[in-house]
Amino acid sequence: MDVTQALQLLVLGIALGGIYALIALGYSMVYGVLRLINFAHGDLIMVGAFLGYFVAKSPMAEGLPLPVRFASVFASAMLGCAMLGVLIERCAYRPIRHQPRLTALITAIGVSLFLEYGGQVVFGATPRQDLPLWLTEQNPLMQIFAVQITDKHLLVLGGTFTLLALMRFLVLNTLFGKAMRAIAQDMTAAYLVGINVNRVIALTFALGSSLAAASGVMLAMSYPKIDPLMGLMPGIKAFVAAVLGGIGDLPGAVLGGFVLGLAETVVGYFASGLRDAVAFTILILILLLKPTGLLGKGMVEKV
Amino acid sequence: MRTGRSDKSAGRQIGKSANRQVMASWSHYALLAIRPLLFATRYSLLAAVFASLWLLDRAFVAQLDPYAFYLLRLIGINLILAVSLNLIMGFTGQFSLGHAGFMAVGAYAAAATSKWLVAQSPALAHSPVWQSLVFLGVTVLGGLAAALAGLIVGLPTLRLRGDYLAIATLGFGEIIRVTFVNLEIVGGARGLTDIPPLGVTPLTSHFWWVALWAAITLWVIYRIVRCTRGIAFQAIREDELAAGCVGINTTYYKVLAFVLGAFFAGVAGALFAHDPDQRYINPDTFKFMKSIEAVVMVIVGGMGSLTGSVMAASVLTVLPETLRSIGEYRMVLYALLLIVLMLTRPAGLLGGWELSWRRREEISPDDLEQPLQPHRPTGEPLLRLCDCTMQFGGLVAVRDFRLALREGELVGLIGPNGAGKTTVFNLVTGIYTPTAGEILLDSRRLDGQPPHLIARWGVARTFQNIRLFKELSVLNNVRAAFVHQAGYSFWAAVLALPHHQKREREIERKCLALLKLFGLHERRHEKAKNLPYGDQRRLEIVRALALAPKVLLLDEPTAGMNPAETQAVMHLIKRLNDEWGLTILLIEHDMRVVMGICRRVVVMDFGEIIAEGSPEQIRTDPKVIAAYLGEPMEVETPADE
Amino acid sequence: MLLRVESVDVFYGVIQALHGVTLEVDKGEIVTLIGANGAGKTTTLWTISGLLRPTRGRILFDGRDITHLPPHERVALGIAQVPEGRRVFLNLTVMENLQLGAYLRKDRDGIQRDLDWVFSIFPRLAERKDQLAGTLSGGEQQMLAIGRALLAAPKLLLMDEPSLGLSPVLVQEIFRVIRTIRERGVTILLVEQNAHMALRVADRGYVLETGRIVLSGRASELLANEAVRKAYLGE
Repeated sequence: MDVTQALQLLVLGIALGGIYALIALGYSMVYGVLRLINFAHGDLIMVGAFLGYFVAKSPMAEGLPLPVRFASVFASAMLGCAMLGVLIERCAYRPIRHQPRLTALITAIGVSLFLEYGGQVVFGATPRQDLPLWLTEQNPLMQIFAVQITDKHLLVLGGTFTLLALMRFLVLNTLFGKAMRAIAQDMTAAYLVGINVNRVIALTFALGSSLAAASGVMLAMSYPKIDPLMGLMPGIKAFVAAVLGGIGDLPGAVLGGFVLGLAETVVGYFASGLRDAVAFTILILILLLKPTGLLGKGMVEKV
Repeated sequence: MRTGRSDKSAGRQIGKSANRQVMASWSHYALLAIRPLLFATRYSLLAAVFASLWLLDRAFVAQLDPYAFYLLRLIGINLILAVSLNLIMGFTGQFSLGHAGFMAVGAYAAAATSKWLVAQSPALAHSPVWQSLVFLGVTVLGGLAAALAGLIVGLPTLRLRGDYLAIATLGFGEIIRVTFVNLEIVGGARGLTDIPPLGVTPLTSHFWWVALWAAITLWVIYRIVRCTRGIAFQAIREDELAAGCVGINTTYYKVLAFVLGAFFAGVAGALFAHDPDQRYINPDTFKFMKSIEAVVMVIVGGMGSLTGSVMAASVLTVLPETLRSIGEYRMVLYALLLIVLMLTRPAGLLGGWELSWRRREEISPDDLEQPLQPHRPTGEPLLRLCDCTMQFGGLVAVRDFRLALREGELVGLIGPNGAGKTTVFNLVTGIYTPTAGEILLDSRRLDGQPPHLIARWGVARTFQNIRLFKELSVLNNVRAAFVHQAGYSFWAAVLALPHHQKREREIERKCLALLKLFGLHERRHEKAKNLPYGDQRRLEIVRALALAPKVLLLDEPTAGMNPAETQAVMHLIKRLNDEWGLTILLIEHDMRVVMGICRRVVVMDFGEIIAEGSPEQIRTDPKVIAAYLGEPMEVETPADE
Repeated sequence: MLLRVESVDVFYGVIQALHGVTLEVDKGEIVTLIGANGAGKTTTLWTISGLLRPTRGRILFDGRDITHLPPHERVALGIAQVPEGRRVFLNLTVMENLQLGAYLRKDRDGIQRDLDWVFSIFPRLAERKDQLAGTLSGGEQQMLAIGRALLAAPKLLLMDEPSLGLSPVLVQEIFRVIRTIRERGVTILLVEQNAHMALRVADRGYVLETGRIVLSGRASELLANEAVRKAYLGE
């Protein structure tokens, strides 16, 4: 392997990692507040991708200038998923909020199955590959050692870091973010200081789901084939990434996403069959060496 | 009001126990006479179960539609999966998302072996008995291979908790699957085909094997979780830390649950691979969704309910099949039903409820031996903390702590909130290892040792914020302290050997005697969480005493009690010390308790000892007044002065 | 009258925790609710704050029926609570905890004024305002919990066992603060195990037993009452 190939792998890994990072970010937002592993998060990616697909294919999109087209694809996917996320939270998660976490997890699995099989009914089970070229075409922007960096690479990276910065600001510096953290810590006390807990949680779901939608569109852009089960594996892997970084920790989730994307790409290059296994192996190694994740902080158990 | 109630129940109790005694006298001799017979019947019962399963099998082969028959076998296999996972998740509380991985290991090991065997000696098929023996061997082999995988996975991952454990087991499950994809010797991604259906002989169909193994799985797990040693699993689920502090080797039991669960999952895999309508496995059969299916069965049935797992395995196997007629909407409906079920019955269909067909004979609380042996203390130093320091990051919780507890002493440890009192307890009981210093019990070093060993060596404790095993009965809370004193193996429990039965009765008698001492025996079958607050505190003390400790550490035993309750507990603590010579270290906030019963008081502030002496000396010590007591005139006078 | 709880029944599942509880708190009063563990004291406060819904009866605040209002709207009306066990947000700083106390307020000047006041009562909180609440000692956390509730600018302050688990010297400090808060015109409903101290600081008191009010009256009368002395004062 020469330098060019190594660099090429690096770029591919970072591009994949950016998408994982974005999905993991959404996972972490919801987990950070509710301590709920929202299994349906991966399927919201799929819904986002399909929403984006339909908007991009619609005749309306034809007439618009390119940046507006992109913006409307992202905006409608994100908005649609935000509403879906709020709906899911309202119908499936809120009624069991005070039940054991495993109950919530099984419900989440139920929601995930519902979206997957519902997607097969609505969108059909066969993968769609007819995404518009303007959405998926990789236009080289620059070249370093014969390694091409395309506009889509930049879009993924730029989008991921912008959204990370935004979310981080929101959580750390706004009153809304403080309310989120307060709920995560002690929901009863949050009620007692006057936080409208239901609204904050619904908004958190809206945010997390729109992040899922954004990553769904990016996934469809980078790997132009969409089907109702497309969210399953990226969803699980992004969850792995979130745990890797220290679940609930936003920069950790992004870091975990990049580590995972890079590792997968590199290992996949040498032994494509082992791609999935090695991602999980790294996860297990990290969990065993530092059980709270890369950036997670350990808490001493109160006795 | 209080006394009224207990009078009434006492009356009832007397009537009952008199009755029982009459019965006991003749049934005792009758029992002696027929015990060997009973023992034989137990095993003939087992044989009868096998025989009736076989008859059922014959009937099904003759009568049943092949598809329905296949479904029945599938139910059996799913039942084994669900019940074995329930041991890990429902009983031990370890959330595993990798059960399909163990199933895969069992399926592959068994299928590869039987394929190889059949290739070696094609004549195998001519002798039904020989073939059956080989098949039995192959399924056991599948189970053992999976158990080995369970050990390899469990040892490192079971340190993790909750979501981290879930994701790690998910990871291992996937790794196992990907390993098979890359293992050309077992067909790689194509998988294994033409697996010989060894279970089908002229005498038996595959169903008989599935039913047999389902019965074995249920029996073994049922016996294990019901015996005293098996309380360990549920104790870990309820409160791992407290479990360690009553002498339970939590790592051992967690790994054991994992290995046992994996064994049966492996058997299920072997049975699945050899099913005459299947005969084919590939890595995709054991994808993540398969693990999820097993988890769903456990939770839908109810965590910790074997009956529930059986029901859920049946319903959730049949349901998708019956929905087949509605085509693509089938799985959508399945998902919706799952969500609705969780919303309406969050604890699963049966919660923790268990079908039980036999009431155990009750031990009468009237003829119990004295649970505690009077002990004349020597006054020798028993527990010594030598210059112990505990640092968390930059924070020093305890600094140069020095304390020698002589045998038979009752010492009070007081100080402001956050002064480090509970940390001292955590150091002694092995929850923390001191950053510096030594802790000695007699001449044995305690620091650096795990909590369960320290508990077994004679240090028992209670907790500031009550850490009972909430969902367990009062009796089982105390029995948990006998896990390491059980004195029989799980084999004895599974086979219901006589010495196991005898020992179980002894343990129950001891537990009841202790409970009676604290007036809790009437409530022995209630869940610990349903006890009134004061009783919960008392039960925690009983559980600690069941360890027959040399030293008892009590962390605010009267916190949250009203004056009357406080008096009663004080009296009891004093009795433990006076009558039975138990050495006690007591953390308290209620000054009356400390001043009333302790002869020596140690005062802590900011992790250090600021004063030590008799209650009188402490009360007038200016340092103590400033840091803890406040102005002397405001201090309430102790009750018994 | 500021608060009136009227024949309220509350259930946990099938278990009835409150049986027709009726109590009143007048403006400017300190009223204490004493009783054994499990008598329903915390349940009463949670019902007033809206964390629990009564199946029967109603709750009036400032002449308005608030029985069906969600918790945050009750805070907006002026009911703040210092919950049992402090329940400060451990991973947030002292300052952030206090800011969350004023979550529903928009009057920056008023918030600043109350913040200064809280810091003047508890100088220790001012010293530690950038520390995580989790690093505070138990007593300091109790101060923070009180400060957080005060920042809601409440008309009625519900305090649930503020002295629980504190050393005698801190207990005295907390009761001194309770008097200070009242002097500022805040009405207080105080739940306490430490009946001795509570009855000494309060104007009136109610005794709760297994979910029922069994006794009520002036605090001095209760202090002298034979049954109260026996059951709650340990004499």
